[in-house]
Amino acid sequence: MSKIKKKRLGFVLDMTPLVDITFLLLTFFMFTAKFKSESENQQKVEIKRPKTQADTAKLADKDLVMVKVGVDSVLKDTAWYVSMINEQDITSLRQAMLEAKFPGADDKTVSFKVTDTVWLGKIVQSCRVVNPKASFAIDADKRLRYEWIEKAVNEMRKNRATTFNFVTEKRQGL
Amino acid sequence: MAGGGGDLGGGKTQRRGKKGKRKSKKRLGFRLDMTPLVDITFLLLTFFMLTTSMITPQTMEMNVPPEMDVPIEVKQSELLTLRLREDGVIFYNMGLDAPEKIALKALRKVVIDQNVQLKNRCIVVLKASADAPYGLVVSILDELNMAEPEILSGLKAAGINERKRKFTVAPMEAKDIEEIKGL
Repeated sequence: MSKIKKKRLGFVLDMTPLVDITFLLLTFFMFTAKFKSESENQQKVEIKRPKTQADTAKLADKDLVMVKVGVDSVLKDTAWYVSMINEQDITSLRQAMLEAKFPGADDKTVSFKVTDTVWLGKIVQSCRVVNPKASFAIDADKRLRYEWIEKAVNEMRKNRATTFNFVTEKRQGL
Repeated sequence: MAGGGGDLGGGKTQRRGKKGKRKSKKRLGFRLDMTPLVDITFLLLTFFMLTTSMITPQTMEMNVPPEMDVPIEVKQSELLTLRLREDGVIFYNMGLDAPEKIALKALRKVVIDQNVQLKNRCIVVLKASADAPYGLVVSILDELNMAEPEILSGLKAAGINERKRKFTVAPMEAKDIEEIKGL
């Protein structure tokens, strides 16, 4: 005769491994997540970075002076936005710019919007004074005229910052 | 959630009599409902997964010569000049040759050939027009960077193991603009 089948009324699934993995992933994403800094929040410019293929290094996350060049989405004007990554550097830079009577600077400015080369030169100089170890990075929109980048490079050269980085985006695939 | 299906709850029979008034059930095991915990965990996981951007910006290192009053003399024959016109057309010339039009894709080969031919003494100068798009300038720099491994192997084949990269960006002068104007 056939075996007597037990009727299943319900079944138990062991959820432990699932929960384990979920926690693992959660911790991973929580630690790798980087939230937008204040300076990024304040900015209204969108930058489309040029794409490159060659082996490039990752952008440093400290001792960095960021020179962003972009078009303001509201005012439609192109400007340089200078900011520093280290918190204490920003504070010192702000102090220096307030002393130099930079137009539009207040106690909360983290990214200095510059539209002329004279101020750009001064601000680059201040950055060099504030943190001599800091390296420069130019983050510019690929559609911009080269003139803007050339001017920024010239100001850096005047202040003996001869090594700098262009911020790019890696082209996916080949 | 993780518990078994059987009844693990309090014992059915009282094994030891107690003298107190109350009859306390002895717990042999207990079940904790994990559902809300797992719910929240999944919620957070989804949130972090969606907000994290995995693509980090890359950088391209550049070196420019410091400002000096004394210009450095270089041999014209070792100078490879690349000029980028405002409409995005690239011109190249060796030394005092007449500038020639070149496509971006063909640039790499020329740079490799010249570098290998001149045995490491080639100096590449990039002169970009102020009105040229910045994206194109970076593309040219990218091409030059991509030429490096092949130059290295080319030089190695010629018996040179050391590579001294000579590259600079120079401003476009009126003379340069004039030279490539009608081409």
